[in-house]
Amino acid sequence: MSDTLSQPHPKAIKGSIMSGTVAVPDAQAAPAKHPTVDWGEVFSLREMGVYYALILLINILSLVTLYLGHPNYLSTANITNVMYQSSLTGIMAVAMTVILISGNFDLSVASVAALAAAVFTGYADLIGFWSAMALALTIAVCVGLLNGAIVEFLGINAFIVTLGTLTAIRGIVLIFTDGHSLSAQSPAVVNAMTAFESGRVNLGYAVLAAGVLALGFGIMKVVRGGLANMTPSTLAALLGGAAALVLSWRTGLKLPVPNPVIYMLLFCGIVWYVLTFTVVGRRLYAVGGNAEAARLSGINVVKYRLMAFVLCSGAAGFAGVLFASRLHSINPAGLQGAELTVIASAILGGTSLYGGAGSVTKAVAGALLLYSLTNGFNILNLGANYQGLIEGIVVIAAAAIYTVGDNRKKKS
Amino acid sequence: MGTTSEDIPLLRLDRVAKEYPNGTVALRGVDLSVRRGSVQGLLGANGAGKSTLIKILAGSHQASSGQIHWRGEPVRITSPKHANALGIATIHQHIPLVPTLSVIENVFLGHDHVWRHDRSMRVQFDALCERVGYWVEADILVSELSIGQRQMVAIFQALGTGADLIVMDEPTASLAAHERELVYQTVRRLSQIENKAILFVSHFLDEIVALTDCVTVLRDGQAVMRADTCDLDEDKIAEAIVGKQIAALEKIGGDQFASSGTAVNRTPLLELRELAVPGKIEPVSLSVRRGEVIGIAGLLGSGRSELLHAIFGADGEATGSVLLEGQPVGRSPGAAVRAGIGLVPEDRMAQGLIPGFSIWRNTTLPALGGISTLGWIPMRERERERGYEAIRRLAIKAPDPDALVTELSGGNAQKVTIAKWLFSGVRLFLLDEPTAGIDIGAKTDILLLVRQLAAEGMSVIIVSSDFDDLLAVANRILVIRDGRCVAERLTHETSEHELLLLAGGKSAPDLPKEAQA
Repeated sequence: MSDTLSQPHPKAIKGSIMSGTVAVPDAQAAPAKHPTVDWGEVFSLREMGVYYALILLINILSLVTLYLGHPNYLSTANITNVMYQSSLTGIMAVAMTVILISGNFDLSVASVAALAAAVFTGYADLIGFWSAMALALTIAVCVGLLNGAIVEFLGINAFIVTLGTLTAIRGIVLIFTDGHSLSAQSPAVVNAMTAFESGRVNLGYAVLAAGVLALGFGIMKVVRGGLANMTPSTLAALLGGAAALVLSWRTGLKLPVPNPVIYMLLFCGIVWYVLTFTVVGRRLYAVGGNAEAARLSGINVVKYRLMAFVLCSGAAGFAGVLFASRLHSINPAGLQGAELTVIASAILGGTSLYGGAGSVTKAVAGALLLYSLTNGFNILNLGANYQGLIEGIVVIAAAAIYTVGDNRKKKS
Repeated sequence: MGTTSEDIPLLRLDRVAKEYPNGTVALRGVDLSVRRGSVQGLLGANGAGKSTLIKILAGSHQASSGQIHWRGEPVRITSPKHANALGIATIHQHIPLVPTLSVIENVFLGHDHVWRHDRSMRVQFDALCERVGYWVEADILVSELSIGQRQMVAIFQALGTGADLIVMDEPTASLAAHERELVYQTVRRLSQIENKAILFVSHFLDEIVALTDCVTVLRDGQAVMRADTCDLDEDKIAEAIVGKQIAALEKIGGDQFASSGTAVNRTPLLELRELAVPGKIEPVSLSVRRGEVIGIAGLLGSGRSELLHAIFGADGEATGSVLLEGQPVGRSPGAAVRAGIGLVPEDRMAQGLIPGFSIWRNTTLPALGGISTLGWIPMRERERERGYEAIRRLAIKAPDPDALVTELSGGNAQKVTIAKWLFSGVRLFLLDEPTAGIDIGAKTDILLLVRQLAAEGMSVIIVSSDFDDLLAVANRILVIRDGRCVAERLTHETSEHELLLLAGGKSAPDLPKEAQA
């Protein structure tokens, strides 16, 4: 290799270089500080479809119940009931959204939940409630690591791997339980389960405080920036705050919410925060959006994908523990098929199966939508026979709206 | 050879021009004729209009003006199917075969058969093998074939349509030497025995001289040379490709090494020790000083991108070591980024950018920690400021940093892939074809930026198949061919002409001095 630094090609040197930046006329001088918001896009069917569908469904159900003289659909009791029913699916749908964003897929969640439930119930009498829960969650996390390791290090498609673990882990559940239902016997454990799962927390004051904070934050933003510069997050804070105040006023500060709903809201809130505001979230979206570009930007793609698998199985394990605590027992066939409802919720929330896009709050809204449908069928005595048909149509319609909306956007 | 009894050429283009809807003029009136029984060579630098011309012949693009005469009749080629029906078959550079189907199924893919397996197909296939003089197992899956064998299957496919004109777009670019020989034999056989016309596009000057009967050279959308090959040699062709094109870069100016006395430091910034990738790159040792720009001249498939990926730690199979300021760099992209190396990959959309992300999200991706509270929560306002900074510094044409990168034109998207590395203290830039497929304005901006980075004490390794760019910005140029560094030249001692010969010819690395003229 040559040792002297050569001069560049003589023909190419003319004039002199300017220091600083590339000489560019300052065309984009004084840029606007805030991004211009396309409100049409923010409120489009594509972006907000799942919320519109949920609001529409709730309105239809409450009008029909009113007309038929049934008890008020919009009562606190009924709404919290729907949220309670959807909490397990909601927790798993949040984690499923994360794994879908990372560009993978997990079919094994329901089996993992059943395994965790079986281990938890089987050992709770022996080693106590909390130790059994820790053991169950550890096993669930290990299954996630196994799924992720096979997908990432052997390069087998996640769909196939988790289809395998779906079946195999259900098999382990059958071996572990020997095909019989397990149930907790010791009164201490049963009490702990009841306290953990069926306890209620009065959220009245919390909702009031959250409403005041959100409204205050929104008003502050508007005062500082003016109405013209309002961002979608400011509007959400204003509307959400107002709704929370109305809710706490209507319920008279008495809003007892079952524990599983609180777990779901907390989990969703934390994951939403991490995805929206942290480095981890940004990188996760990048990994799903274009894995090669993410890798060449120095991101450890394998680590992020493994984390998503671990989170998904861990959340499934927690849902399993909740499920077992609810029934104080577990049937080896329990939760069978629940993975499909979980995936349907994520898809209703607009999560792309190709990775790089998705929202956990919308996934929870998707779960609420599915369980509101079920709930509506029960209240109206429409017969469970039609339920599957309607749910299937709703899922396909949602996917069609997202896909068609996407294609239109690309064309324009 | 080269002369036929027919007076009318099989294909004649008369002042064919192409202007794209966005205003880019790719062809400015090209005349070209191809006769039966002859091989017509077509050459040109990147962006000269070769691929547009091929697309027009293949029917995937329409000429904006000019006339195409086919067998003496004026025609308008409206679709790829129409081109096939006329008797024009195109073998594209990236061979579009279905890997999961067998050889015979691929060869007759475009035919309307009722049955998947048909005795007549087999008879035709055997006849094709006989004609070409090459036998390949009919029932083997294409995925099991080597690249060279796939190229032959693509030729069978073209012949299977009964074409009279076969357009071959760089058919030997990714082939090994013995596989190339096979393609040459086939081309000769088709033109001499079968009386077919061949339009042969290549970057390799030696094969153009050895194989073709006449040569057309495109430059800036015009045919600048038409001659019989027997009157030419590699030197003359290289001269025609290069032309007096240097003018384009003279405009940007820049006496960047006036300041080199201070900017260029004696300590090496980067040292490669026997860096190699088994089967792709033979061991390379190199030392790069602060403020130095190294050009890597090589054609597609020469191992130039593989070398950059090996330096960046993105190739798990690489052996040898990379040292930055004397410190060994860990063998992963993450470690390379932390050490201060940035890679701008060749395919900006597939490797460089996250499509669903805005400009600012793409810009801050490799260095998120630096602008985050506690290294954990990115500060959106500062991120958007960086987006504005990127737009301003690189003159990216975008309304604001919230624009999605998929909405940008090629040159502007390319600038975003470079902007990613400007904010995190990167000391070594690896640029892989940063100027490919972008307009001259964007190209000038990028080349200027390279000089400016060097003047600020950063080192740059830049790969380009446009050797003119390398001459404009590099201090030293390494020539790579077949995964081997075949020559090293100081920029002021070489010329585009010599680089073309070194990278494209099979000539010995050390050419006689008169070749540099």
